[in-house]
Amino acid sequence: MAGTVESTIKFPYKRSLGPVLGAFMTALTEQRIMGIRSGGRVIVPPLEWDPDTGVELAHDFVDVGPAGTVESWTWVAKPTAQHPLDHPFAFALVKLDGADTALMHAVDAGSIDAMSTGMRVAPRWKAERKGHITDLDAFVPGETPETHEGGGAEEPVTMMDYDATITYRIPTTANQLRSDQASEQGRFLGLKCPICNRTYTGGRGYCPIDAIELGEEHEVDLPQKGVITNYTIITPTPYPGQTATEPFSRVHVWLDGTDVVLGYQTLLDVPNDDVHIGMRVEAVWASEGEKVDKDPRMEGNLIGFLPTGEPDNTDPDLVNRLH
Amino acid sequence: MAHDNDIAIIGWNISPMVRNTEHTEAQMLLEVITGAVTDAGITRKEVDFTCAGSCDYVAGQAFSFVQNIDAIGAWPPKRDSHVEMDGAWALYEAWLRLQMDDIDIAVAMGSGRSSTADPELIYSMEMDPYYLAPLGADAMSFAAIQARALLDAGKVTERQMAEVAARTRRDGKSRDYNQVTGDFDVDALLATDYVRAPLRRHDLPPITDGACAMVIARADKARELCENPIWITGFAHYSELHNPGMRDLRSSNSTTLAAKAAGIEEGPIEVAEIQSAFTHEEPLLVEALGLGPDTVINPSGGPQAANPIMATGLVRIAEAAGQIRDNGKHRTLGHSTSGPCLQQNLVCILEGGK
Repeated sequence: MAGTVESTIKFPYKRSLGPVLGAFMTALTEQRIMGIRSGGRVIVPPLEWDPDTGVELAHDFVDVGPAGTVESWTWVAKPTAQHPLDHPFAFALVKLDGADTALMHAVDAGSIDAMSTGMRVAPRWKAERKGHITDLDAFVPGETPETHEGGGAEEPVTMMDYDATITYRIPTTANQLRSDQASEQGRFLGLKCPICNRTYTGGRGYCPIDAIELGEEHEVDLPQKGVITNYTIITPTPYPGQTATEPFSRVHVWLDGTDVVLGYQTLLDVPNDDVHIGMRVEAVWASEGEKVDKDPRMEGNLIGFLPTGEPDNTDPDLVNRLH
Repeated sequence: MAHDNDIAIIGWNISPMVRNTEHTEAQMLLEVITGAVTDAGITRKEVDFTCAGSCDYVAGQAFSFVQNIDAIGAWPPKRDSHVEMDGAWALYEAWLRLQMDDIDIAVAMGSGRSSTADPELIYSMEMDPYYLAPLGADAMSFAAIQARALLDAGKVTERQMAEVAARTRRDGKSRDYNQVTGDFDVDALLATDYVRAPLRRHDLPPITDGACAMVIARADKARELCENPIWITGFAHYSELHNPGMRDLRSSNSTTLAAKAAGIEEGPIEVAEIQSAFTHEEPLLVEALGLGPDTVINPSGGPQAANPIMATGLVRIAEAAGQIRDNGKHRTLGHSTSGPCLQQNLVCILEGGK
C-alpha cells in the first residue's frame, strides 16, 4: 500500500415530503401509524402511487395498528452508527393490524431468544417527535404501545433531515507520495509519457492519453517558471473553510515545457486589476521546516506564484489552454 | 445463427480480487481494459463506445467516473457513458448502443473499491431516503430477512445454505483471481455463530476490490476479429417495487420475467453464473430462472468467492462466456442483481457457434 488519505464526508440531506409521506410523518408526531388505500389493499408505509399500476392514489388514509405481527426478522448483534438503536436489536418486517404490506423497523426485544416469526409487537414512541421514521423509536414485544403525553406537530410536517457520515480511506499512488515529497522540497515532480512525450504534473501514475502506467522511471523535475493562461477574481462568500474577506485572484499557470496547466493557483503581490493573461510567473516555496501562513488548500510547500518581470507572452491562443 | 444485427463478446479481463488493493479505481480499470482489448486482439483506438458501471458512494467521490475515464485513453475523444449500476448494466447499454448500427466495437466495464469505506454504511444510503435509509437499513439485514422468509417457508434449510458456501468456495479454487476459496466442512460451518441471524459468516460474500472489462462487437466485426465469437442471444432486465416489505420475498418475479424475455426457454442452459451474493439467494434464483439439475451453477465460485461490488454481475457474464470459449459449452447464462432483496434482475444468455 502506497498510502491512504482518510476523509470523513457528511451528507446532510434535507428532503421535501409531499402530500402522502408528509401526512405519514405528521401522523407519527401524533403517535399514529397511517397507511393509504390502494384498491382493496392498505399500503403501509404509504406510497404516492399504486405499486402495481403506477396510478396516483387518492389521499385516502387509514390508521393501522397500533400492534402488528412480525413477518420476518434478523438479529443485529453489533449495530452500526446509522442503526436506530445502539444495543443489539432485531430488524423486522412488521405487518400492522389492518395493513396489507409490512413496515421495516427495529424491534427492541432484548434478546434474540425473544424473537420469532409471527410474534406480536407494538410501537414504542419517542418523547420528542419531529416527523421522522425514527419518531417510532422501535417496536416492543406485546400488544401495548408505549406512548407519551402531549400532541403532535402544530403544523403539518413538510420536510425531513437525513444526516449520514461516512469515513473513506482513499489510496494514494507511489507517484503521488513522491510528488508530495517533491513539493515539500520546493520542486514540481512531473511524469513524462514515453509514447506521446507529454509531460504531466502531479502523481496519478498513468498517461490518460495512451492509458499506460507511469512509474518512478518516468518522473522528471519540472521548471519553476510559467505563464498565466487564464484567471478569475473571486469575491468571497462565507462557507466553511473560507477565510478570505476581500476579492482575490486565482490563476491558471502553464509551466514552461509541460503539457498540463496548474489550475487555480495563488498569485502573490499583484493587485487584482493588474492580473492578465500572458504574465510570466515563478513558483515561490516555503523554506523547509518554515511554518508559513499560507492558504490551507494549497498543497505541499508551494506558497504561490510571483511575477518574474519578464516580457509577457503575447500568444493569443494562450487562453485556449484549459488543461 | 447470428444475424447482422447480432452482437458478440470478443474479449474480457477480470482483475485480481482482493480485500484491499493499493490501486486506485482508475488504475484497476486501466489494467482490465488493457487486458480486455488485448484479449480481443485490438487496441483502445479501435473502440467506438465505452460504458462504465461504478458508484460514487463506494468511491467516496462525486463524479468519480470522470477520473476513471483516464483509463479509457479518451483522446481523441470517445463516445462514453456511465451507469451507477453493476457493469452488467453497462454491458446492456453498450449492447443497445451497438444496435444503432453506426459503430462496431464497444467496451463495458465495472469497478469497485469496497475497501474504501464500510460497505454496510454505504448501502443504506442508497435505500429509500424516507422510510429505509434513516434506519441504516443495510444489505446484510435485508438479506437476512429474506433468508428467514425462505427458511420459514421451507424453501431452503440452513444446511443447504452451508452446502452452497462449501461448494462454491471449493469450486472457486479453479480461478486464480478469487479471494475466498477452500475446502470447508458443512457441519463445522453450521456449528459457527450467527453474524446476522439466520446468516452465518459463510453465508455472506467477502468484501472485495476488483474490476472487469469486456469487449463486444457487431456481427461482421466480431467474425473478422474472432474465430469463435460468443453471441449475446438474449438480454433483459426487470425491476420490482423497492421496499422489501411490500414484496413476496419467497420469490423473484423480476428474475423470472427477465429470463423469459431473454429467451431462456428456447434451449437448455448448461452453465449459469448467477449473482447470488448470499447463499440463500442461489436456490431462490435457480427456481426463479426455471433451471433444473442439469445446469451447473457458479462453477467459478460466484460472488461467494469474490464480490467486487459494481463488477460482480459483469464477472458473471464473463465467466458464462468463458464456459463457451474455453470449456466447450454451447449455451450459458449470466445473471446480475441490484437493490435490496434482489429488487432488480438482469439475465444475459450467451451462445457459441456461428
